Amino acid sequence: MTEIDKQGRNLSTTVWTQLDRKAGAITELTIRQLRNRISTWVVLGVGVLLISLLLVFYIDSIRDEFEPYDNDGDSEDWDNDGYPLGQENIYGTSDYDEFNFPGSSEYIYQGDIDWNDQPRTHEGNHTWYYAWGYFNPIWIDVNASNPFIYNYDWIDWSLGDYFCEEEGLGSDPFERGPNGYYGFENSNIDRNYCQFENGTYIMFGAAFSGEGEFFVEPGWNTEWGYVTESFFVEKHPKSMYIDEDDIDWDGTSVSSSQGFDDDGDCLKDDYLVESTPSDSNRNGIYCDVQWTYDQYGNLISIRADSNVDEDPDDSRHIGESSHRTFIIGTGKIAFVMLLGLFLPLFLALGLVRDESENGTLHYLLSKPIHRGEFILYRLLGYLAIVVSYTVILTFIIAFITSIIGPGESIIRLSDYPVWMGISLSTILVLIAYGSVFNTVGLVLPRYGVYLCILFGVWEFLMGLFTITIPSSDITMLSISHWAIQIIDATVMIAWSDTPLMQQQADAFGLETGISFFWHPPVHTLGTGSPFVALIISVVFILIFSLGMILIGQLIFRKKEIM
Amino acid sequence: MSDDIKVPSVLVENVSKWYGQVIGINDVSLAIEGGVTGILGPNGAGKSTLFKLLMGRIKPNQGSVKLFGIDPWEDTSPYRRIGYVSESERLYDWMTGQDFVSTLARLHGMTRNEADSRAEHVLEFVGLYDVRHKEIGKYSKGMRQRVKIAHALVHDPDLIILDEPLHGCDPIARTSIMNVIKELGNQGKTVLVSSHILEEIERITEQIVILHNGRLLALGNIYAIRDLLDKHPHRIMITTEEPRKLANAFIGEEPIYGVRFPEEGKLEIQTNDLSAAHSVLPRVIVESEVKVSRIDNPDDNLESLLEYLIGG
Repeated sequence: MTEIDKQGRNLSTTVWTQLDRKAGAITELTIRQLRNRISTWVVLGVGVLLISLLLVFYIDSIRDEFEPYDNDGDSEDWDNDGYPLGQENIYGTSDYDEFNFPGSSEYIYQGDIDWNDQPRTHEGNHTWYYAWGYFNPIWIDVNASNPFIYNYDWIDWSLGDYFCEEEGLGSDPFERGPNGYYGFENSNIDRNYCQFENGTYIMFGAAFSGEGEFFVEPGWNTEWGYVTESFFVEKHPKSMYIDEDDIDWDGTSVSSSQGFDDDGDCLKDDYLVESTPSDSNRNGIYCDVQWTYDQYGNLISIRADSNVDEDPDDSRHIGESSHRTFIIGTGKIAFVMLLGLFLPLFLALGLVRDESENGTLHYLLSKPIHRGEFILYRLLGYLAIVVSYTVILTFIIAFITSIIGPGESIIRLSDYPVWMGISLSTILVLIAYGSVFNTVGLVLPRYGVYLCILFGVWEFLMGLFTITIPSSDITMLSISHWAIQIIDATVMIAWSDTPLMQQQADAFGLETGISFFWHPPVHTLGTGSPFVALIISVVFILIFSLGMILIGQLIFRKKEIM
Repeated sequence: MSDDIKVPSVLVENVSKWYGQVIGINDVSLAIEGGVTGILGPNGAGKSTLFKLLMGRIKPNQGSVKLFGIDPWEDTSPYRRIGYVSESERLYDWMTGQDFVSTLARLHGMTRNEADSRAEHVLEFVGLYDVRHKEIGKYSKGMRQRVKIAHALVHDPDLIILDEPLHGCDPIARTSIMNVIKELGNQGKTVLVSSHILEEIERITEQIVILHNGRLLALGNIYAIRDLLDKHPHRIMITTEEPRKLANAFIGEEPIYGVRFPEEGKLEIQTNDLSAAHSVLPRVIVESEVKVSRIDNPDDNLESLLEYLIGG
């Protein structure tokens, strides 16, 4: 069966199909030549090694980060009373005193007489605290144990009665005596009370329980309250205080008060003492997280009250964020900046130069092929190898990380668009650098490699610069800048919550490097759309590459080949 | 096949090419159509420069080069009808002969199958059919030359340009390549063969072009040149311990008209007919029972012939 075109020619031999065959032949020859060179396999092997090392590092580190981690340290039980810090925080007890724990008796303040208050007597059944003055008791509890934690002024009744008359009480007991003690002239006496024979006590800053009338000596003070009954509180396991207060966000993108104190250590509902919950972000709402967005819906800040959303689910936040950091970092540095530079340096620089130096160029140029076409087909052969290599390598690393990566699903499908972006970016870089190096090899057969290395160093530095400060203008003069933009844009498209994750990481102290390795795309022409940045970057690199190929073709067409 | 039958295959008009101060080709004009033409000249005469101009590798400083009426520097289309064997000895050593020829055939727009069968055909023609699946790296020098010729013939060209195709070949390969070239001429193709050895060209063709120092020295039938050559005195230098004894033995031999003792242990004999002299030489040496360590032909090169032609 033969197809005939309008001019009556056999369609299989029209100019276009012949061009096709020539392209195929040169491309194939180039591929076979590159396959036959050891340096090709060395550079491809080193690339595989680099990616494998990164994978090992990933597997090693990402597993640690999935382990639930006690971000706020409240699973510890410092005083060994069996109640972890988190539970003690909820009840307002101390984790540094084994006698003070949820359910233990507690002193509750009721009132006081200050140094300048009037009147200066108070009557009642209380536990008295820092009492300076005269107590006329109805009864006094001489059996009560000390309910106070840091107060050693509790009267130790076990020492027995102690009469003021016998102990040489000073004429004015509330003035310091010659030995610096209150009340007693005998410096050996360290008691903080005594009793008159009529039953009235003098208290020098003592603490005790009892009913009666208390007169506070002018210029001094007392405080009174009661001690609660102890009750049983079940001890929480330490594991309850790991990942116990996740970041709560309802998905809205309007400035609002969000967040919830899941574990109750900010709200303090179970406190026995009346206590004000935290409002450290000063938005007038206790125990919340204030999320602030600008008019375009971009998150500006997250400010949390203390002890709110402070111990998020690690596999969800740190794990996810480290996973993304790994992919972005690998894409930018390993793929774009290392493979993107070294593959063309080894494979593209000599595409035409080596043929010319080997003296085999004659075979190819004595065929009816335009020299410009020749360059193009050589580049196609080079691209066939490096593009398939990049695609396969990206797919392998994408597949492995998407399976062992964090998340509930068996395979993380959302990673694949990002890997495709990385692949696309690397391929474009390979085209751009390949055409530059090939052209340099043509113009400067001998010293071109040094120029290429200089160019590579520039591209590498601009790449690093772009990763840290993508908005700097000078980096726009490099290919790596635009290639990194492509990755930034695809991340924005595939994982649109990455800026949120960065904010959360910064606001809640989850350091994973995501804020270092990723920034929203810059070149959106003011639209903020990552698609615009993606298209602009792709077009820029393609135009640059085409320009470079054209220059190479022009030079090669005018070059005399000896 | 050729619509432009009136246009000569090769047309070179007043072409000059220089590399800086060095002149490669100086005001050369020639037109070649049909049959085998030998391009003769010593090393550096401009043969390779002429071929590079024909193959569009370099651009003439003056004059014009046309292949089938088209300037090869501007347009590669004449190469559809041209096969070129360069003087470069480098090949893709990792390829088999079949692979090499068929890959290059595809650059003419042939399909893979066409290219394969054409490659087999030309490899058979140059006598490499049996080794076509061997790697070129394992080929002998003569086989390498022949595979180069095969690639140039694969698209059945009308004009074949061979740059020193016999260079470095052993006598058997040389004969085989010469036969291939003669056969191409018999098929009515235009063939250009360069060489710096007159004897080689003489065995292939009668039609020659002589280049010297970049200039076209002579163009025409080889017999005209031969006549000049016969008058050209030749010297044969013999290194021996007893030059005088050997000189006596030579006296009276027909082709030899004089002897000389240029230095200790050397004998120079003079002749007008080099081949006749060479045919008597072994017999005389054996009969005289003189030990000979070395025989040189200081004039048996094109350079001295051309010097003679110019000077003469």
